[in-house]
Amino acid sequence: MPTKNVDERISKFKNKGKDPAKLRDKRISACVELRKANKDENFMKRRNISVDLSSDYISNEMVASLDIEDIIKDVNSNCRESQTRGCQAARKLLSQERNPPLKEIIDSGLLARFVSFLSMDDEPNLQFEAAWALTNIASGTSWHTQQVVEHGAVPSFIALLASPMLHISEQAVWALGNIAGDGAAYRDILIECNVVPALLARISPDTPVGYLRNLTWTLSNLCRNKNPFPPLSAVQQMLPSLIQLLHLSDKDILSDACWAISYLSDGDNDRIDVVVRTGIVPRLVELMSHEEISVMTPALRSIGNIVSGSDLQTQVAVDAEVLKVIPVLMRHQKPSVQKEAAWALSNIAAGPCRQIQQLITCGLLVPLVEQLRNGDFKTQREAVWAVTNFTSGGTVEQVVHLVHSGALEAIINLLQVKDAKVILVILEAINNIFMAAEKLGETEKLSLLVEELGGLDRIEMLQNHDNELVYQAAHTLIEKYFGDGDVVGVKVESTEEAFVFKTSDVKKTFEF
Amino acid sequence: MELNDANLQSLTEFLRKTLDPDPAVRRPAEKFLESVEGNQNYPLLLLTMLEKSQDQVIRVCAAVTFKNYIKRNWRIVEDEPNKVSDADRTAIKANIVNLMLSSPEQIQKQLSDAISIIGREDFPQKWPDLLTEMVNHFRSGDFHIINGVLRTAHSLFKRYRHEFKSNELWTEIKLVLDTFALPLTELFKATIELCQTHATDVNALKVLFSSLTLISKLFYSLNFQDLPEFFEDNMETWMTNFHGLLTLDNKLLQTNDEEEAGLLELLKSQICDNAALYAQKYDEEFQPYLPRFVTAIWNLLVSTGQEVKYDLLVSNAIQFLASVCERPHYKHLFEDQNTLTSICEKVIVPNMEFRSADEEAFEDNSEEYIRRDLEGSDIDTRRRAACDLVRGLCKFFEGPVTAIFSGYVNSMLGEYAKSPGQNWKHKDAAIYLVTSLASKAQTQKHGITQANELVDLNEFFVNHILSDLKSPNVNEFPVLKADAIKYVMIFRSQLPKEQLLQAVPLLISHLQAESTVEHTYAAHALERLFTMRGPNNSTLITPAEMAPFTEQLLNNLFKALALPGSEENEYIMKAIMRSFSLLQNAIVPYIPTLIGQLTHKLLLVSKNPSKPHFNHYLFESLCLSVRITCKANSTTVSSFEEALFPVFTEILQNDVQEFLPYVFQVMSLLLEIHSNSIPSSYMALFPHLLQPVLWERTGNIPPLVRLLQAYLEKGGASIASSAADKIPGLLGVFQKLIASKANDHQGFYLINSIIEHMPAESITQYRKQIYILLFQRLQGSKTTKFIKSFLVFINLYCVKYGAIALQEMFDSIQPKMFGMVLEKIIIPEVQKVSGPVEKKICAVGITKILTECPSMMDTEYTKLWTPLLQALIGFFELPEDDSIPDDEHFIDIEDTPGYQTAFSQLAFAGKKEHDPIGDAVGNPKILLAQSLHKLSTACPGRVPSMLSTSLNADALQFLQGYLQAATVQLV
Repeated sequence: MPTKNVDERISKFKNKGKDPAKLRDKRISACVELRKANKDENFMKRRNISVDLSSDYISNEMVASLDIEDIIKDVNSNCRESQTRGCQAARKLLSQERNPPLKEIIDSGLLARFVSFLSMDDEPNLQFEAAWALTNIASGTSWHTQQVVEHGAVPSFIALLASPMLHISEQAVWALGNIAGDGAAYRDILIECNVVPALLARISPDTPVGYLRNLTWTLSNLCRNKNPFPPLSAVQQMLPSLIQLLHLSDKDILSDACWAISYLSDGDNDRIDVVVRTGIVPRLVELMSHEEISVMTPALRSIGNIVSGSDLQTQVAVDAEVLKVIPVLMRHQKPSVQKEAAWALSNIAAGPCRQIQQLITCGLLVPLVEQLRNGDFKTQREAVWAVTNFTSGGTVEQVVHLVHSGALEAIINLLQVKDAKVILVILEAINNIFMAAEKLGETEKLSLLVEELGGLDRIEMLQNHDNELVYQAAHTLIEKYFGDGDVVGVKVESTEEAFVFKTSDVKKTFEF
Repeated sequence: MELNDANLQSLTEFLRKTLDPDPAVRRPAEKFLESVEGNQNYPLLLLTMLEKSQDQVIRVCAAVTFKNYIKRNWRIVEDEPNKVSDADRTAIKANIVNLMLSSPEQIQKQLSDAISIIGREDFPQKWPDLLTEMVNHFRSGDFHIINGVLRTAHSLFKRYRHEFKSNELWTEIKLVLDTFALPLTELFKATIELCQTHATDVNALKVLFSSLTLISKLFYSLNFQDLPEFFEDNMETWMTNFHGLLTLDNKLLQTNDEEEAGLLELLKSQICDNAALYAQKYDEEFQPYLPRFVTAIWNLLVSTGQEVKYDLLVSNAIQFLASVCERPHYKHLFEDQNTLTSICEKVIVPNMEFRSADEEAFEDNSEEYIRRDLEGSDIDTRRRAACDLVRGLCKFFEGPVTAIFSGYVNSMLGEYAKSPGQNWKHKDAAIYLVTSLASKAQTQKHGITQANELVDLNEFFVNHILSDLKSPNVNEFPVLKADAIKYVMIFRSQLPKEQLLQAVPLLISHLQAESTVEHTYAAHALERLFTMRGPNNSTLITPAEMAPFTEQLLNNLFKALALPGSEENEYIMKAIMRSFSLLQNAIVPYIPTLIGQLTHKLLLVSKNPSKPHFNHYLFESLCLSVRITCKANSTTVSSFEEALFPVFTEILQNDVQEFLPYVFQVMSLLLEIHSNSIPSSYMALFPHLLQPVLWERTGNIPPLVRLLQAYLEKGGASIASSAADKIPGLLGVFQKLIASKANDHQGFYLINSIIEHMPAESITQYRKQIYILLFQRLQGSKTTKFIKSFLVFINLYCVKYGAIALQEMFDSIQPKMFGMVLEKIIIPEVQKVSGPVEKKICAVGITKILTECPSMMDTEYTKLWTPLLQALIGFFELPEDDSIPDDEHFIDIEDTPGYQTAFSQLAFAGKKEHDPIGDAVGNPKILLAQSLHKLSTACPGRVPSMLSTSLNADALQFLQGYLQAATVQLV
C-alpha cells in the first residue's frame, strides 16, 4: 500500500541565465501535496497475497488457520514442524485481503524468530515461509518496515538472494524491494550491503519472467527517492541491466524499468546525463507509444525529465523524434497523460529558438492551442507555461506564428482561471508578446487585438486582484501598453528664478 | 504597567477622551496611548476593559484600540525590536479565542480581525493549538459561538484563494485540513439536519443559514489551491448537500427587501461559486456531479425574480452555465432543442429586460449608466452575464440559438408595435438581444469588429433602428433613441456607408435631446463615425459630404454643452475636436464665434479642473482652431493671442498645475507661427519660464523645452541682445535636464537649439563648461540614449563651428581628449544613432572631421582616420544597431525620446520635424565623396594610400560607389 505521496518529481525548467524573464527559472513543484496519491504511479511496497511463486508453493487455502496465540506457540517452539506450521499460519494471516495483523505479529515478538529462520539453509520451507511473512510485514508503514530492518533482516535477505531455490531467492528479492521502497535511508543501507551485485547476478537469459518482474521492481525501488539520490556508483552498476530489461517485451518489466529510469532522470543535469549517455533515449521515445498505459506513463515521465535538462540533452530526445509522439499523447484520453505531455512540451519550449522552431515544424502548436482552449485545468496550466517559455525564448517571427495559431486568444480566455500563479504566467506571456510587437513597431495593433479578444477588460479587472504580484503585473501592462507611465528626475542647484549653471571642479581625468 | 484597577481606571479615562470631538482633548489622549503602548500588560489591560467595563462605549472603544494595536505591533520585523512582550503574546493567544466567542457581535468582529492578524504571523507554528481550540467549539452546539469560529476561520483561510502555491503554504493547508476538514464536514451535515428540525423557526434558521454560508465559503478557500484528498473522498457528501441546498426554498427565509440579498441568496451564490470552482479546476473528478448542478442552477434561474437582491446570485449562476456550455464534453447537456429554447426563453431573455433600476439610472445617474452601458463596467450585471451566456452558447449552437432568438426578437417587436407607449421596453430588450447575438469581438476604436453572419444587421437597421432615429420628437422614448444611436455606433463598421450618411443628420438633431444619455450617445456616435477610415487612408466621411450639415453640427454641439448636466461633457467636447479636425477649412468662417465660446469654457473650467478628458479635448480643439485658421492666413495668429493670452495669464498666475503643460504647448504652437521675430508679449514671459519650480514637475518638461526651443528659433538674437543675463539660467535648465537619465534627451534638444540659433559670441564663454558637464555625465553614467544624443550634439557643433573648433575644444579640456572621444565613443557607437535628421547630422559632422581637420592627417590621431571612415561607411550601409546592454533594458523603454510619458501631449499641437542642415546637404554620401576628393587634391597621394592600407574591402567598394555617383576621383 502506498503510504505517502509519490508524486515528488521536480518539475523544473532549464535555467539559462541569458534570459531576462524570471519565469523561466526552475519550476520546482511543491513536495507537499494536497491531492490523493496519483493512481498512475507504481507501488512503493507490495504485499505478497497469493502470487504463485513456484511449484513448492503451498497456497493459503491449504494452510491451517491458527489464532495468534497458537502461532506464537508454534513459532517459538523448538520443533521444526511446528515452526513451519506457525510460520505458514502467520504468513496466511499476513496475506489476508483486509487488515492484516502486522502490528499484532510484531508485538508478539516473532520477528527475531522469523529473521533467524532466514539463515536456515537446510530448512528451505521454513526459510521461505519466514521470508514471506517478513515481506508482508515490511510492506506496511515505515514503522513496520523499520521493525523488520532493526531485527537484522537485511543481511539475511541479501544472503538469501543466492539461494539455489528460485522461489526463496525471489521472495528475498521481494522483501528487499519493500525495504528499499521505504525511502532513501533504507535504500542506501541496502546498497551499502552490496545488494546491487547480488541482485544483478540473478539476471540471466534463463531467469523466469515472473522472477524478473520482481527483480525489476526491486531495482526500480533502489533507483527511487531523492534527498539524497542513490549513490552514483550504484546507479552506474544498475543502468546496463536496466537498459537490457528495457529491451524485453513483458509489460510489467518494461513498466518498472521505465519507472526506474524516470527516478534516475528526475534530478539535476548531471543525473540526467548519466541516463542519456546510455543511449536509451530512442527506446524510451518508442515506449511512449506503447499500448499499455503502465509502460507509456513512466516512459513519458522519463522523457519529460530529460527534456527538462540542458539544451543538448533535450536535443537527444528531439533527435529521437519525441515531437512526433507528444501531439498524440496531448490528445490522449486521460487528462493526466495530456498534462505530462504538455509539461514536456513546456520544457522544450524553454529551449533555444532552433528547438522552438522544431516545435513549430512538427505541428505542436495545434495541440497546444487545443489544450489551452479545451484541456483539463492541470493540462491548461502546463500549456500556459509552454506559451510563456515560447514567448520569452522565441524569435519575433516565432512569437508572431504562435499568436497566429490562436494561442493569444486562448491564454486571454484563461485569465479568468482561479489560480493566481497561472494568471501571472499568462500576463508574463502577454508582456513577452508585446515585446515582440515592439520590435515590429506593432504594439498599437497588438493592443487593439488584445482588447478585441476581451483581454483589456480582463487585465483591467486583474488590477483588483488580491494577489499583489498579479495586481502589479496587470497594472504594468495597462500602464505600458494601454496608458501612460512615469518619469523620474534628479536634483540640481537652483535659486528661486533659475537653475545654477556651473561645473564642479574637475579633479579626475576623463576616461571613457 | 501593572494589571491593576488604578491603571484600568486611568486607561479608561484616556480612552474616553479619544472619543472627544474636541481635538484639544482628543489629540493628547491619543498621544498618551501611543506613548504607553510599548509597555508590558498594555494589551492585557485593553482586553480586560473590553471584557469587563460597565460602559458599552468603552468596551467597543477598547476592542477597536486593541485591534489597531495588534495591527501596528504584532509583526516582528527583522532587525527591529519586538514590540509586544513574549508574556503578553502568550497571554493574548491563550485568551483571545474564548474572549471573542463570548463577546457581543460588535466586539466579536474586532477580536476576530485581531485573531486573523495574529494568525497571519503566528499560525500555525507559533499558535499550534488555535485550530483544535476552534474545532472544539463546534461541539458546543451554540451557533453564535460556532459562527464566531467560522468567521474567524474564514478570515484566516481566505488568503488560500489568492496566494501562490508554495511548500510553506501547502504545509499549512495540509495541517488545517488534517484538523479541520472532518469536523467541518460533520458540522455541515449536522447544520443541515438542524435546518430540517427547525424548519419552522425563523430565528433558528437565520443563524443556521449564516453558518451554512460561512461553511460554504470555507469550502471554497480550502479547495482553492488543489483538490484535497479529504474532499475528494467526501465529494459525495458535500456535493449532494450543496445540490440539495441549491434547490431548497423556505418561505421563512425570503426577505421583503428588494435591494439587499437575503441569506438564501448569499448561500446559493456561494454554492454556485463552489460548483464553478470544481467545474473549472477539478473537472475529471467533478464530472459525475456536473449535470445535476447544471439542471439545478438552470431551474434556480428560471424561478428567480427580477429584484436587485437576486443580482449577484443570478449573475453567478449564469456565469456558471456560460463557462460550462462552451466546453466540448458538456456540449450534450445543452444541445437538445428544448433545453436551448428553455435557456433562451427563461434565462437569457428575462435577464436582458430593462428594469426599473436601469430606468432610474438612465434618468438620474446618467454618468453611471453610460459607464456601464458604453464602457463595459458592467461586469457583475445580469445583462452582461446573459450576454456572456449567449456568446458561450453560440460557440457550438450559433445556428439554433440565432433562430430561437429571431423568433423572440420578432415577437417582442410585435408587442412593441401594438402599443409603443406601453411596450417600449420590449423593443429595448429586442435591440439588446440582437446586439449581444451579433457582436463577437469589439474595440473602443472600431466598434464591433466581428459579427454573427446569421444576423442581418443592415436589415434590422433599416426596419427598426432608422424609424427611431427619424422620429421628429427627439425627446420621446429616450431609452429607445439611445439604443438606436448606440446601434449605429457599435455596428458602424458593418453598416454600409450610405446608411451612415443617412444617420449623420439624424444624429446631429439628437444632440439637442434633453436626455443626457441620449445627447451624449449622439455626440459619441458622431465622433466615432468621423474617425472611420475610408479608402486611401482618408476619412470615410469627407468634409464635402458634411458640407450641408456643418453649421447645424457645430451649432448643436456647442448648444449641447449648455444643456444641464453636460457643461463638462467629455463626449461632446471630443466630438467638437473631431469635427474640427474632419472639417478643416470649412470651420474657418465659424472660428471667430467659436473661439470666444471655447475660451469662455476654458476660463470656467480653469477655476476648478475636474474632468481631465474634457479639458484635454478642449485644448485639442483650441489647437485645431489655431492651426486650421493660421494655415489659411498666418496673420490671424495675433487675434488668437488676443483671445487666449488673458486666460493663459490667469492660469499661469494662479498656477493651475493641470493646465500648464497645455498652455505651454498652445503657446509654442502660436509662437512657431510667427515669422522671424518674437513679440514682446512673449519676451516678458521668458524669465518666468526658467523658474525651477516649473521644471520640478515632470509633466511640464517636454512642453517647456519645446516652448524654449520656439523662443530660441524665433528670437535667439533677441535673447542674446536683450536678455543676455538669462543665458546662464537657460543653461542651468540644460544642466538640470542632462543630470537625469529620464530627461537628458530633452536637455540635448535645448542645447542643440542654443547652438543652432544663438549668435556664436553670446555663448562662447560657456562652451567649455557645457562640454565638461557632458563629459562628466558620460563618465559617471552613460546610457545608450545619452550617447546617441551626445553624438548628435557634437556633430551638430562640428557642422556649426567646424571640425577644428571641435578638436581644439576637446583637447583644451584634457590633452588627447579628441582622440579618446573618437576612439571610444564616435567610432564604436555611431551605428546606434537613429532618425533620419540625426543620422544626417552625424554623417555631415564626421565627414568634416575626416576632411577638414588637419590634426587628423598628421598627428597621432591619423591612426583613427581610416577606422572613422570605416565607421561612417558602416553607418551609411549597415542596418541600425539597436542592441542595448542588459542593465539599460528598463530605462530605454520608458524614456527614449519620442516616448512621452506622464505628460499630456496634445496631438493637434504637433511640431514639425526640424532639420538644421536642410537642403545644404542633399546626399551625405555624395558630400563625403566630394569632401574626400577635395582633401586628396590638397595632399595628393595621402588619401588613396590610407585607404588601401587598412580600409576593408567591402567598405572600399561602397566608397567607390559614392565616388562614382559624385563623378570624382581621388588623387
